[in-house]
Amino acid sequence: MMSSNSANVNKSKGLIIVISAILTIIPFFALIDIPFYNRTNPELGGLPFFYWYQILWLFVAAALFATAGIIYNRYGGE
Amino acid sequence: MLQIDGTAAFTILFAVFLILGFYGRYWRKGDLSKLDEWALGGRRFGAFIVWFLVGADLYTAYTFIAIPSSVFSIGAIYFFAVPYVAVTFGIAMWAMPKLWKVSKKEGHVTGADFVRKHFNSRSLAILVALVGIVAELPYIALQIVGMLSVMFVMLYGLGSIKLVSDLALILSFVILAIFTYFSGLRGATLTAIFKDAIILFTVALVIIVAVVNIGFTKSFQSLPVKYYHLLPLQVNAYWSLFLMSALALYLYPHAITGSLSAKDPKSLRISQSLLPLYGVGLALLALFGILAYGSSSTHAFLIQIPAASRGTYVVPALIFYTLPSWLTGVAFLGIFIGGLVPASIMAISQSNLLTRNIIKEIKPNLTSKGESLVAKVGTIIFLFIALGFVFLFPLSYSVQLQLLGGILILQTLPSVFLGLITNKLNKYGLMTGLIVGIGYGLYLMEVANHFKPWTTTLITMPPFNYPLFIGFIALLANLVVVLIISLIALPFSKKNTVTEN
Repeated sequence: MMSSNSANVNKSKGLIIVISAILTIIPFFALIDIPFYNRTNPELGGLPFFYWYQILWLFVAAALFATAGIIYNRYGGE
Repeated sequence: MLQIDGTAAFTILFAVFLILGFYGRYWRKGDLSKLDEWALGGRRFGAFIVWFLVGADLYTAYTFIAIPSSVFSIGAIYFFAVPYVAVTFGIAMWAMPKLWKVSKKEGHVTGADFVRKHFNSRSLAILVALVGIVAELPYIALQIVGMLSVMFVMLYGLGSIKLVSDLALILSFVILAIFTYFSGLRGATLTAIFKDAIILFTVALVIIVAVVNIGFTKSFQSLPVKYYHLLPLQVNAYWSLFLMSALALYLYPHAITGSLSAKDPKSLRISQSLLPLYGVGLALLALFGILAYGSSSTHAFLIQIPAASRGTYVVPALIFYTLPSWLTGVAFLGIFIGGLVPASIMAISQSNLLTRNIIKEIKPNLTSKGESLVAKVGTIIFLFIALGFVFLFPLSYSVQLQLLGGILILQTLPSVFLGLITNKLNKYGLMTGLIVGIGYGLYLMEVANHFKPWTTTLITMPPFNYPLFIGFIALLANLVVVLIISLIALPFSKKNTVTEN
């Protein structure tokens, strides 16, 4: 009983770490793939794709990082 | 020249700022004989204040002046600051709470403290502290450039361009030195919030006015391709610049201090995770470098100034020609203290390192009176040295000052960040790697600039056939040395690594 319980806790803690890690790493992939966003079109209000794509990722990164942080803080320990 | 109502707005707000700065000495005053209290505000700041504090490190002259200047002068490649701030907090939200926990447990205040304990090496700690001090110098110089650019546009028309720029530099430096000497870190912290409120307000205002009046379509019209997006050859330079900047930010002494002042690791993590939002202002300011081309009055003003320093005045000039005079005064004040506050925080963190990690190591029986004297005098000396760095690069290339600081501070990454992850690294390996990294980095700076005055931090060298950020190559060399020496030393040094956890 005891051992299977603590094994479960370890397993779910491992899962939390994996989920937080994935959420954190997504913006890195989105921004390191420079050839993907290194283009002019589609423009947004005259602003080339290159610029607004990266600005958009500031918002997405904050949302993903915060989600990862909240999940980890609540279930993963300190 | 700024009109009377603009000058009045600037002066009144500057007076409010100074009162806050000096009042800050008494704000949240704890037992100042404890360094924890003096340097970290007693480690009691919640997520919101830490968000502001660390975010305030972002809104410096780097954001207002250097990045827009480079986008204006060179093109899309200097938009790298945006992915830099998007990813740096993804690293910080995991690394900094870890450093916080170790530091709290063992009473560390600086990164060098951590290194000293973790690797049980006084020499490595002194080396890390020295690099921290030197790396802040060009970063402070950049803040001085920011202050002088506002002064220049305010005083423009008083005399010849040469006279006005000299006057602007002298005024900026004197104000910085006096402010830093009298106000201290608490004053700087309190004013950081005031500064950001003004900045956020003016950035939002100017971007709306500029986009409505000028618009991107018109601004981009006459520009070559390198302003629309990267040229194929710049792609590798782009990632090396943004990834290395992201790794470097939290190695700077002032950023470590800001993080350690959090009240617990969880709120620190949340505040870090939300900081990419702060970068939106940075992105908009970077676009000022493009919008300046669409405003004919701004453009007419800028072309009177020699190209080598023209870029520096992009943001002040665009504000001057888009906003009414009194709002221009408000915005200028924001930019001016946007250089002043970070410069003084950086100088204080330097003198903190000097007294705590260098002087006290050599002379442990220093009295607390002697300590504060060393700290204060040290701050002023550092500011004077930083002033010398102002002349290292032409003003339009002032972003290179921050990148030079990056090349230097990155070399402490193996000792601080890898030290958090593993205790298998050898201290002599770390020392050798650090020295190799710095020596090699500076050598490559000379090679890349053909032993002439510096204008770039990028280099094309085998085996890479495209330009890369020198900081990346120097860090690679550093890591190779650290790994080789640690591998050789591993069998002999089982005993002298401090085992923890």
